[in-house]
Amino acid sequence: MIHELLHSAGKSSLGRRTFMEQTAKSTLGVSIGLPFLTSPRQAAAQDGGGKAKSVIYIYLSGGMSHLDTFDPKTSSDVMGSTTRLDTNADPIKLGNHLEKLSSMADKIAVINSMTSTNGAHEQGRYIMRTGYNKRSTIVHPTIGPFAEELLGKRGEILPDSVVVGQNTSNAGYLDPSRSPLPISNPGAPVPNTSLTTDNERFSRRMEIAQSLGQKFTERFNYSGPKSYVEYYDQANTLLKSDELNVFDLSGESKREEYGMGRLGQGCLLARRLVEKGVRVIEVVSGGWDMHLNVETGLQTRVPEMDQALAALINDLQERGLLDSTLVAVGTEFGRTPNINMNSGRDHFPAAYSTMLAGGGIKGGQAYGSTDKQGKKVTRDHMRPEDFLATIGYAMGVPLDQTVYSPTRRPFTFGNDGEPATKLFA
Amino acid sequence: MKHLFARILPAIALIATLSVGSASAREWTATDGRKLQAVFQGMQGDNIELKLQNGQTVSVPKDRLIPADIEAAERFEELGDDTFTKMSAKRIDQLLAQTLAKNGYQSFNEPLPDDLFARRIYLDILGRIPTREEFQRFAESARPDKREALIDELLLHPGFSSHLFNYFADMYRLHADDDFANGVRMEPYLQWWKESLRQNKTYAEIVTELVTAEGNVGQNPAAGFILRDAGMEFDAFANFGQVMLGIDISCAQCHDHPFDEWTMEDFYSMAAFFNNTQRTLGRYQAADAMGMLYSEMPNAPEGWVDEFRKFAASKGVDVENRQRGDGQTLRWYIDFLGWNVTDIENKEVPVPSSIADSEEKLRGEIFRPSTLVGKPAKQGGMTRREALANWLTDPENPRFALVIGNRMWDRAFGRPLIGPVNDFAEDMVAKSAQPQVLDYLRSEMVRVNFDLREFMRILYNTRAYQSISTFEEPSLADPYYFPGPVLRRMRAEQAWDSMLLLSEGPEIDSRVGRDGSFIRAVLNVDLENESMDEVWEKFEAYKGMRGDRLGSAVIEEPGSLSPGAARNNGLRASELAQPAPAGHLLGTFGQSDRRITDEHNFDGSVPQVLALMNGQVTQMLTGSSSKIASDLTDLDGPDDKVRGVYFTILSRYPSDDELSMGMKMMEDYGDDGVSDLAWALLNSPEFLYVQ
Repeated sequence: MIHELLHSAGKSSLGRRTFMEQTAKSTLGVSIGLPFLTSPRQAAAQDGGGKAKSVIYIYLSGGMSHLDTFDPKTSSDVMGSTTRLDTNADPIKLGNHLEKLSSMADKIAVINSMTSTNGAHEQGRYIMRTGYNKRSTIVHPTIGPFAEELLGKRGEILPDSVVVGQNTSNAGYLDPSRSPLPISNPGAPVPNTSLTTDNERFSRRMEIAQSLGQKFTERFNYSGPKSYVEYYDQANTLLKSDELNVFDLSGESKREEYGMGRLGQGCLLARRLVEKGVRVIEVVSGGWDMHLNVETGLQTRVPEMDQALAALINDLQERGLLDSTLVAVGTEFGRTPNINMNSGRDHFPAAYSTMLAGGGIKGGQAYGSTDKQGKKVTRDHMRPEDFLATIGYAMGVPLDQTVYSPTRRPFTFGNDGEPATKLFA
Repeated sequence: MKHLFARILPAIALIATLSVGSASAREWTATDGRKLQAVFQGMQGDNIELKLQNGQTVSVPKDRLIPADIEAAERFEELGDDTFTKMSAKRIDQLLAQTLAKNGYQSFNEPLPDDLFARRIYLDILGRIPTREEFQRFAESARPDKREALIDELLLHPGFSSHLFNYFADMYRLHADDDFANGVRMEPYLQWWKESLRQNKTYAEIVTELVTAEGNVGQNPAAGFILRDAGMEFDAFANFGQVMLGIDISCAQCHDHPFDEWTMEDFYSMAAFFNNTQRTLGRYQAADAMGMLYSEMPNAPEGWVDEFRKFAASKGVDVENRQRGDGQTLRWYIDFLGWNVTDIENKEVPVPSSIADSEEKLRGEIFRPSTLVGKPAKQGGMTRREALANWLTDPENPRFALVIGNRMWDRAFGRPLIGPVNDFAEDMVAKSAQPQVLDYLRSEMVRVNFDLREFMRILYNTRAYQSISTFEEPSLADPYYFPGPVLRRMRAEQAWDSMLLLSEGPEIDSRVGRDGSFIRAVLNVDLENESMDEVWEKFEAYKGMRGDRLGSAVIEEPGSLSPGAARNNGLRASELAQPAPAGHLLGTFGQSDRRITDEHNFDGSVPQVLALMNGQVTQMLTGSSSKIASDLTDLDGPDDKVRGVYFTILSRYPSDDELSMGMKMMEDYGDDGVSDLAWALLNSPEFLYVQ
């Protein structure tokens, strides 16, 4: 029968394990399941840093208005329709749409002294996610692949980093196997993971394919085709494992609490991934480029963010994960204090705000400040490089360790930025 | 500058060194069986001009010759006679054989059997696998010259330029995505590349047009090359070094190169060839984002922007409202017109202040243009960029022909003679495993006048190319002597185009996607001479096609400004958006995102495997209404069906074992067996490899 024919084809003499050990590549971006190969260099926890085993980096694409969210002012000529809320932590004041956060501000730290020189979206996003200016001669890795490079691979079936709300990703100059798994739509299944035939027929097909693959790799002794044989095994394992269930949000009781929009559902997926040990999850959410009618924009975006962040932070805390999970909120720049003729605000990189919570961060703080109109940073300037260094510090990444690109250019996590250690408990 | 390319001296030199003896003349056979040794000269109507050995030229009526010879004359008419092609291929084989012998090899790898040759040559030239019919037509042909005939046929097929475009798209980072380009519309530039390759412009012509282009992409699409990196001029130059000269001097932008000989002075002196070059609008976009006012457009007559805005206002556009409606569209349109390349004689670009502190003394310094390698460029009487283009494409430039020749070699053999292709020092050439082959390729590239099609024709005709791929993966650390090509994974574009062929058939070759002509037409404005009414008409056309549909708009009738939308499904990689839209299978298989040069990724991944196991193409081919089963219904007998599946997917004959296993499957499962076998072939690593 077919089976006999298949088996008569003979087995490869090269041990699969040996091969795997030679090429620790990655599976859904992703692992080969050999954690013993890596030698994590987790830096010793110091002054409150190093506690964050995972990071959820919520990236608000378009440029979040600092005045309407984390840095509201009393001066009515820059505030438009937004009013200023007191919170349960005295130093923190929030825009009135951040109602839920205002009652739990003791769990968050806001940074009001962000400053950048990049006034264009792509350039601004790029440095906020990599710590480096965008160049046309190299692509820099985002924090997930970089942390994996410095701290070692962690996951077995799931990747070490996932990016939600985006359908491409890369690992910059690092090995492509470190690329985050892109999930464009939280809640939708990972593409191509449902079988097109019944299990029995699938196994039959797989068996023939494997025997052909074996013959091919016996003929050509190259690492490439062998890695494909391996990827087929992994795909098989993946399809049969229940790890994929993590992406299925349908059974989650807290869906409504997070909000049913992409940001809320993305944060929920992020929490589930944290529970599975994924190191870095970036949740990207657009709609913040409010050149027109900033008021209308704020009425939808800010409450959505408020709900998602509040649900996420509470949920992590209830599960005992908040101390080991850093929640970071970033954006490429702030928006102009002056409201333009279209009732909108334009790009404003000179001063803007971000937020951190959990992962060793001391809640209830406002770090840095701007002047009365939110135009200039007045103390504790924080550049994008410093913000990323602070995230790295929370994770225990060795910030001074140099990584070389294949073209032998030297790089560090956060581009030699200064971590704001004052933020940590 | 056309005269620069008519360099006949090297060709004469070659003729002197390689004697055109009787052995190299082709044998032509008349329908009555008589034979003639002669070299093809050209066709005059229905007559074929042949040069006899005694030097005499005769004119032979076409229908006096056998069909194979008529066909040969027709392809020679397009491609040129192949006498030199074959001599050159032979010379390459001789040189390789010498180094092989010196290094203990008996000879080349075994000759490639016909079936594997067909698959490889279709993938290498057309960028896709052959159809079952194409495969069988070749494999079953008994003609002795069938390989050279197929090579020529494929070089004349539209797939040749489609596949070559993919290569240059990586190398030159071609894209049409606003994220990269500050709002410059790149579609006309991409289209210019496709047309240039379709017309088989020489590489020297292409580079000259790129380097010397002026205007905006509407007036001169080649200007896209310089606009590509507007705002990153020194990075642009670093890319220029890698692409044109195979030298990565990006380090020397900030400090002297730590490993190579390059200094910052070298970098800034060579970059100074672009220092007169103004890429506008520059400041405008940033100013706009910050809510500031328009700045004057340097490529327009003074006051033109204000005048046009007034004109628009008189037509009812709310020009003050630049963030919405027609006011916004007007702003964009003026912006696109303004993205422009010009030379301004007195303009200089000093060394930026961002360089390393240790190099402080150089900050603000202005360097005079001078070349990095080879002879100094002749300057005077031309712009700096013209001088640079002349210097690059000069036959005596030590790097230009070498770099592109080595790259084309890499395309054919899966490994360059010297690597990496975009960064190798000059002394590496002499130290390489085959310096004579490199030298020869350099001189051949000059002899064929940078005609890349002819150059590839030579390589595909070598015995070295037509050998079985080497079975053991050669280490990158050791020299490789090219007993044959190395095993390569398909490029993402080859994988996509092949899967598309399986699901839709060969008509994919003639489908055209977005062609940029609409954008080109509405941006092709002569700001000096066109009246406000004329520009307004173009603006109105543009306004009617705002938004996403712009990219896919094509002009239905030449000369009109009424766009139609191009189809966007079932298109080959070269006809899709560049790079393919996010989430496309092309990205999954490693297509470059075009941010940095030569970034194609050949690694496998689980998502790729999942796409092959469960994805769309697989479903169509092997799902419930299996395309492959219905394609093979005409074939009788399980053995023919099994062969049919192998021909369709792997383009080869099954072994005896494979045949009996397949027949057993037909016997047990009928058409399901056909689908299962097809699934298995598609999902064996062999499918993705060019062997």
